[in-house]
Amino acid sequence: MEKRASTSGSRFSDRPVAQVIAASVLAFAAAFASQASVAGDKQTVAYIAPSLDISYWQWVAYGVKQRAQELGMNYVEFTSENSPAKQMDNVRTALTRGVTAIVMGPVSSTSTPPVLRLLKEKSVPVAFTGIGPQAGQTDYTSAVTANNYDTGKAEGAYVCKLAKDRGSNKVAMLSLPQDRENAQKYMKGAQESFKSDGCDLVQVLETHGLTVNEAVQQANDVLTAHPDVKGIYGMYDEAATGAAKALQTRGSVGKVAVVTADGSPTTIKLLRDGQIQGIFLQEAVGQGIDATTQVFNALNHKPTTQELALKEPLVTKDTIDQPEAQATVKRVYPPSAGQY
Amino acid sequence: MKSVTHSMPEGHVRRSGAGRRLLSAYRTEIAIALAIIVIELAVGMIVPAALSGGNISNVTQAAAPLVIMAFGVLLVIITGGIDLSVGSVFSLTGMVTGLAMAHGYGGIASSMAGLSVGILIGALNGALVTFVGLAPFVVTLSTYAIAGSLSFIVTDGHSLPISNPDYWLLNSGTLIPGLPNYALWCVLLLVAIEFSLRKVVAGRWLYAIGSSSSSARVIGIPVNRVRLAAYLLSGLFASFASIVSVSYISNAEATAGSSLMLQAIAAVVIGGASLFGGTGSAIGALLGALMITIIQNGANLIGVNSFWQGTVTGVVILIAVLVDRVTKARR
Repeated sequence: MEKRASTSGSRFSDRPVAQVIAASVLAFAAAFASQASVAGDKQTVAYIAPSLDISYWQWVAYGVKQRAQELGMNYVEFTSENSPAKQMDNVRTALTRGVTAIVMGPVSSTSTPPVLRLLKEKSVPVAFTGIGPQAGQTDYTSAVTANNYDTGKAEGAYVCKLAKDRGSNKVAMLSLPQDRENAQKYMKGAQESFKSDGCDLVQVLETHGLTVNEAVQQANDVLTAHPDVKGIYGMYDEAATGAAKALQTRGSVGKVAVVTADGSPTTIKLLRDGQIQGIFLQEAVGQGIDATTQVFNALNHKPTTQELALKEPLVTKDTIDQPEAQATVKRVYPPSAGQY
Repeated sequence: MKSVTHSMPEGHVRRSGAGRRLLSAYRTEIAIALAIIVIELAVGMIVPAALSGGNISNVTQAAAPLVIMAFGVLLVIITGGIDLSVGSVFSLTGMVTGLAMAHGYGGIASSMAGLSVGILIGALNGALVTFVGLAPFVVTLSTYAIAGSLSFIVTDGHSLPISNPDYWLLNSGTLIPGLPNYALWCVLLLVAIEFSLRKVVAGRWLYAIGSSSSSARVIGIPVNRVRLAAYLLSGLFASFASIVSVSYISNAEATAGSSLMLQAIAAVVIGGASLFGGTGSAIGALLGALMITIIQNGANLIGVNSFWQGTVTGVVILIAVLVDRVTKARR
């Protein structure tokens, strides 16, 4: 017996690889156990982003994480890489990891029904950010979105007014891809305003890559094809940055008005410099905060609001430094993104 | 015909022969140039402003980064390789340059930091392809993924405004009066690369390696070193394209180069290079890049629906390549 034990011990000590493997397994098991126990002690919220290569979704993530910390929840993060299949995998993985609530920026509205079926089975509350669930779906805690239609309408009216102030009723639009629901809502609102206010939307160019470089080129092309355009409606942040750059190159800053949705340190600086005339702020961080609050309330049997369409208030050079505007900007992007 | 040629003075005959050789050598490039003129005239008939000096200036300024990147990709493709990492190198270079400026470094030091990204990734690609013997597609796909990911990591995904007020001069300033710098860089690189490919021994080695690397090795060409240099230059040019672009738009974005890799490869192929190696010219790559930019510009000016723009670009590329293949087969 003694001999056998001794032999076995010596064999083990003679095999450093085996020792390393055993130690690794133990360490992994310990880490996993501690993780599991943390998850067991505290509520955990998972944020599932459609992709994290766009600042907007990173800023929503910041809002979710910040609010989760305030509420004493654990936070985990997944990215679906714009794939509905990956999104479903992420939901399953999150459930396996024992999350108690999910905040999701869905890949698309139409990708949400199977997710909602699964989460209903598991009784896990879910709040959507940015993009809402498919029409007709009801089994979700909350959809925290921007009020794109009203914003589209307000931005359309503002662009039209600024164009007329500059002596023309011709306006152009740098649009998000029109296969997106939020883009369609912006467009519908804008078109209604242009029609009622007597402006002529002469050209719409949609982005492919959401880059400033592309927007510079598109703005140049619009202004070449339609030199009488006096207002550019930007549906996303890079559109305004690109349009402002194109106007700067042409020596036309201020002669053509640029207004955009979203907001970022870059466009806020351009606003202050007078290179763009207005931003309808979309509260990316705020959406994360509010969605997390909603799932927390659901977990703790407090009242929730199923449809939460956040306003996108207009800020201009004159109003950006007012306390109310500054409070809103802080719900748009995190401090790490740049100055307010 | 023969007697006429003989009756001409010697100098004239030499010039005529040289002209014919030039026409023959650049047949593909001339066809592309004509196609570009036809496309531009067609767009100009619908939107006259397309032919204005302002629009032509816009197009060349927009095309400059793609042209520079295509020059680098060309060198690799001539050797029979491929560089899929250039788009990510473009993105990462912009972020590193912007980050360096945000930390207070000047324009030159920040540009050097940006260019070092291309040199490092290009050298890594070249070393893995030549000395380790991995397939170029796999190596550059990996570095594409790594550099693309690092583009987000270095700033946590935030875009960076360029704080240096004079940095735009790199793109839009004028070292030579009347010639904006973005055009100057393209012309200088065009002349240097075309001359090297045609007249310098090392340039001819690229074609030899692309035609048959084993034969090239047998006749004593340092195949590994030449290939390594091609990948290194490809990375360097992608980085240079990026800083030229960043200096124009005064902004660095982690996704800036995402669509450029395919466009650069397409530009080189439109320009007459074969993906199997052994052919291609810098003039062709420049014209290919210009053609892609002009198609995009024309589609925007005419108001072609965005969903159709990819189809239009794809069809034109296919036609260009098919026409080139048919004419080469006839020869």
